[in-house]
Amino acid sequence: AWTPGWSVFCLVLLTVALGAQALTPSHHLSLSDVDRLKGLLSQPFTDLASAYYSIVGLSKLGASVADENDACQFLKAQLDPMSVDSLFFAAEASQAIADCEVSIFNETRDILLAAVSEDSTVTQIFRAVSALSSLGLPLASQEVVAALVARIAKEDNVLAITTALQTATRLSQQAELGGILEEIEDLAARLDDLGGVYLQFEEGLEATALFVTAAYTLSDHADTEPPLKEDQVIQLVNSVFSKKSWDSRSEAFSVACAAAALSSNRFHVPVIVSTQGPATVSHSQPILHLLVTDILSNPLASANLLVESAQAVASKSVVLSQAPFSLRNGIFELNFMASQPASGYYQFTVAVTGDSRLVANQVELKVKVSTEVAVTNMDLSVVDKDQSIGTKTSRVDYPFKAKGSFTADSHQNFAMNFQLVDANTGVELTPHQTFVRFHNQKTGQEVVFVAEPDSKNLYKFELDTAERKSEFDSMSGTYVLHLIVGDATLENPILWNVADVVLKFLDEEAPAAIQSKTLYMPKPDIQHLFREPEKKPPTVVSNTFTALVLSPFLLLLILWFKLGANISNFSLSPSSVLFHVGHACMLGLMYVYWTHLNMFQTLKYLAIIGSLTFLAGNRMLAQKAVKRYGQSSTLTFFTRSTCEN
Amino acid sequence: MSNSVISVISRFLEEYTTKTSNKLKVVDAYLFYILLTGALQFLYCLLVGTFPFNSFLAGFILCVGAFILGVCLRIQINPDNKGDFLSISQERAFADFLLAHTVLHLVVINFIG
Repeated sequence: AWTPGWSVFCLVLLTVALGAQALTPSHHLSLSDVDRLKGLLSQPFTDLASAYYSIVGLSKLGASVADENDACQFLKAQLDPMSVDSLFFAAEASQAIADCEVSIFNETRDILLAAVSEDSTVTQIFRAVSALSSLGLPLASQEVVAALVARIAKEDNVLAITTALQTATRLSQQAELGGILEEIEDLAARLDDLGGVYLQFEEGLEATALFVTAAYTLSDHADTEPPLKEDQVIQLVNSVFSKKSWDSRSEAFSVACAAAALSSNRFHVPVIVSTQGPATVSHSQPILHLLVTDILSNPLASANLLVESAQAVASKSVVLSQAPFSLRNGIFELNFMASQPASGYYQFTVAVTGDSRLVANQVELKVKVSTEVAVTNMDLSVVDKDQSIGTKTSRVDYPFKAKGSFTADSHQNFAMNFQLVDANTGVELTPHQTFVRFHNQKTGQEVVFVAEPDSKNLYKFELDTAERKSEFDSMSGTYVLHLIVGDATLENPILWNVADVVLKFLDEEAPAAIQSKTLYMPKPDIQHLFREPEKKPPTVVSNTFTALVLSPFLLLLILWFKLGANISNFSLSPSSVLFHVGHACMLGLMYVYWTHLNMFQTLKYLAIIGSLTFLAGNRMLAQKAVKRYGQSSTLTFFTRSTCEN
Repeated sequence: MSNSVISVISRFLEEYTTKTSNKLKVVDAYLFYILLTGALQFLYCLLVGTFPFNSFLAGFILCVGAFILGVCLRIQINPDNKGDFLSISQERAFADFLLAHTVLHLVVINFIG
């Protein structure tokens, strides 16, 4: 029954299920990536800035420059005691080298302190403060805080605020760092979320990496947890470590600092769980090996790995629950085959415990259990369709071939029954690929069928010779029979030549030649048949009828003559002559239209001739009308006068 | 029965030859000519076939159209119908006849192919 309580329970379950799908890092620095980073930072440096990036960057990664003494001499030689930047680079770099001290003058302190004011940029303040702190010179933290707060208000960009955060890490813990700490949250809000996977500043990788460094260094210094959620941390990890080759030394330096900050701060340490090679176990290799490292691929000191659940993907049954891994030589091991899983894919949910700082410590893994397949009970038989003659079944053992060949003509079916079992456990298997291949050695024809299992997982294949003749092109002959078995979870795919099968098709259905050979030859030309002109009647008939149709005209002339129609009243006035000429021209134009012109040309000529004819005709008819009215009026006068009488 | 038909026909013919004016008889002769031409075209079509059909249609419609225009002209110039056509003089009727014929010819020649 669908009660409200049940639906609430389902909703809660759904939320829990969705929440359990936590984000895990998709990028981190593998050992080769770390080496590449160290390589970039180890390149020879030519000025103080690159020396600073190299020396300090390498020290963050736990390495050092090739020749420390040389580096120290270089710093001392390049130092310009009047420049804040120069002092900063030299002081910071010398701190990273053991037994390297940069000499200072009396004026140094004054120069550096003078740089700490509201009028210098945040970068200047940062460099001055860092230099002062590295050189062991005293500084007034509260003044710095005031200057920083004032500068943040003026320089409201990401890089400036990040630099301010970095400056705050050098100040005394007693100073009022609360206001600056709040900037972390404000800055985090400015990050762009890309697809829920990446979180980065639009200013780029370097800005994001420097932000991560500053946020965690300051949080450690002020002993306050940074206001970043787990998902945000993972997204930042993805953004910073997705790039595996860096454009400049400063970019490499920022990534090295971020990596160091994320692997050893007091609050959030992202953990990476990875497999050594493909995650596959089998009877020969029953142990699943997993590595648990931080983002620099250093193994975590105190970590315990636990399988929360291992669920078969196909059947959704839970095979393992709450099983711990054992640690051996820095690698976590679990003998998964001890749980006797069936072959297939398993969804593992593993949890890393042992440190409260760990972030993304619940990881989902897909593990494949592979096995070996064995073909058993392979029976080949030729079955008569009407089942009058008993079937002849022969058993063939893998990998041998059947002794005789099997003959099947159109009255018989060729049948194959077999079972596929797991070689180790005897459980029936249904691999993805179970094909039966017929290959005609003479013609090169190859026909492949699929063998299907029935409800009891017994494979049956039946070839109805008459029904399938189109696939074989009705070519009778000896076909070599192969059984092909394959699957992603099988370690031993099978290609087994089982037997020879002689197939006989009815010969009259066999095509003349093998179709495939002529498939790519030019086909016969198609002759285009133009539309036949319609049959015309013989010319005699047409001519007769033409004469016949024109004959009434003669009749008309005769009739008119008999009626006494004449042109005696024809007045030779110019308008009447023009009218008749124009009219004749119009009729002539009709003929020319029929033979030569198109409608537009005709209309053009018609307009010219027609208007002339019209004007002339109008004049002529008017004259005629006048004449007629003149006549009729005299007639009326005459009639009236006679009537009066 | 046949007697009355013959007597009607002979009476009609007599009236026609005496009562109708020459002008109208001229037009009637023209109409008869058009009729014959159209009938002969139709006969050809029946006997020999409709190829080319557009030509047959053009010719036949010309005959039909000319016949109709001729009839209109005859009606309009008949003095007995003067009351119905007060605003149309004989010359005007003839001019209309010519104009309509021009359009008819244009269309037919276009269609004759």
